[in-house]
Amino acid sequence: MGFVGNLGDIFRILKHVFRQVFRRPFTYFYPFEDRPYPEATRGRHIHIREKCTACAQCVRACPVAAIRIDKEDKKFEKDCALYFDYTRCIFCGDCVSACRFEALFHTPIVDISEGDREDLVYGPDKITTLDRDPLEWRGRRFR
Amino acid sequence: MSPDILDEASVIWFGPQHVSAHGWATKLTLVGDYIVECDPNAGYFHRSAEKCLEFRNFRQGSMILERICMMEAFLAEYPYIAAVEKIVDLEIPERAKIMRTIMLEFNRIHSLQFWWGQFAGELGLFAMLLWPWVDREYTLDAFEELTGSRHTVSYATPGGVKYDFTPKFHAKMEIALSRVKERMPVFDDMLAGSPTFRLRTEGVGHYTAKQALKWGLSGPNIKACGIPMDLRKDDPDPNLAYGMIDWEVPTTHNEEHPGECDAFDRLLQRFKEIETSLDIIDKLLPLLPEGPIIDPKARAKVNRLPEGEGYGRVEGTRGVTSVWLKTMEKAQTPWRAKIRGPCFASYYSLKHIVPGARFADFPAIFGSLDPYPGWWDR
Repeated sequence: MGFVGNLGDIFRILKHVFRQVFRRPFTYFYPFEDRPYPEATRGRHIHIREKCTACAQCVRACPVAAIRIDKEDKKFEKDCALYFDYTRCIFCGDCVSACRFEALFHTPIVDISEGDREDLVYGPDKITTLDRDPLEWRGRRFR
Repeated sequence: MSPDILDEASVIWFGPQHVSAHGWATKLTLVGDYIVECDPNAGYFHRSAEKCLEFRNFRQGSMILERICMMEAFLAEYPYIAAVEKIVDLEIPERAKIMRTIMLEFNRIHSLQFWWGQFAGELGLFAMLLWPWVDREYTLDAFEELTGSRHTVSYATPGGVKYDFTPKFHAKMEIALSRVKERMPVFDDMLAGSPTFRLRTEGVGHYTAKQALKWGLSGPNIKACGIPMDLRKDDPDPNLAYGMIDWEVPTTHNEEHPGECDAFDRLLQRFKEIETSLDIIDKLLPLLPEGPIIDPKARAKVNRLPEGEGYGRVEGTRGVTSVWLKTMEKAQTPWRAKIRGPCFASYYSLKHIVPGARFADFPAIFGSLDPYPGWWDR
């Protein structure tokens, strides 16, 4: 064989290498973009206080006691304030399925890291709003 | 063993830091390159799962179980659900039975895909470590589409299942299963067709069917000896759909040593397990009827259970997985829960299998038994 016999293979490899150099990478640039999540994704919660009736079913359903309720804090007629402790939450979805008034949902936001442990307890101001939309995917489709 | 040999023996701890020891610790006594004594040590993963179950109600308990073994999360949580359903009288809809069975088999495929990569990685085949894990991503995508979570699916609940199959889930499951079917011959060639791999696994970690029965092994570890012992066939759960279809229990026969198995036979057995799972899913999907997915009275009935005992079991990826529950009158939580994991037996059988083997064969032996520490430290 020798060098000449392998030329075809060498060109094939070079073609592949040059094609990959000018393509977008398969990996994604995480803080700026993220992969698409399905609708059912069990990410951080959102609490809709207008619909909440302070029945505390979510608190009872939680297997890890991650939800605290404050019935004194009222913004509407029947509602209450919820405190979600994301250092304890296991994202099992039991609180959402326990809510019969459509006042508690999961969102597709799964990256909720914070610099301080205390910041992971989401109080009524944080849990009722989404501070940002889910990140978008701009890279190549891997799967 | 003469005491002179033991004078030269050195004791080393395999784990808990070693990368392929998965966080458990096994004490090995070596003379030269040969292992003369193997002392498995349980306890490094202990998180009091059984005690935790006594403080969770009957809808919450399964969350603990699925965190014991993340690889087969749904297979791990199902025995708890089955035990609760034995105590309280619930009517499981036909659709839910079939959906549960499909998800159990799908979860088995996921666990075995993970095991392929892990086993090959332990033996130094790094390409084969990553390839099945790429395919596993498709399986996890399907789980995520259905339940919202990739590993801890929390799918079953007493009385039925939580989420209905959607067209998007069917599409993703189709992609994942076709990917497994497509790549099976490739992996078979890479492992069973590789002379290096065969040298490292053939004739290693030998035991007979009689020994396996004595040690209490189950699942693929005993089916590899040629014994068709499978709970799905021997004691089909009335709340699952295994009885609705015809399927064969896969077994492996070692032609050189009938009634015995080595690490290579256990690998072949796990290939056959995947084929069986694919076969069961293919046969069950057309049978999926329309209708409800949960008993409407289940939520109210499970709030307080009558006095009784329930024993739920399922054929897991690693063997028989079961949970026993004892409840008192109007119980909100179990009075006592006992988990029987499949891997306690396989981990402590190392004590008898390993002595006499070379040190380099140790990862091949315990990797082929597929032990998972959560199952013996519960």
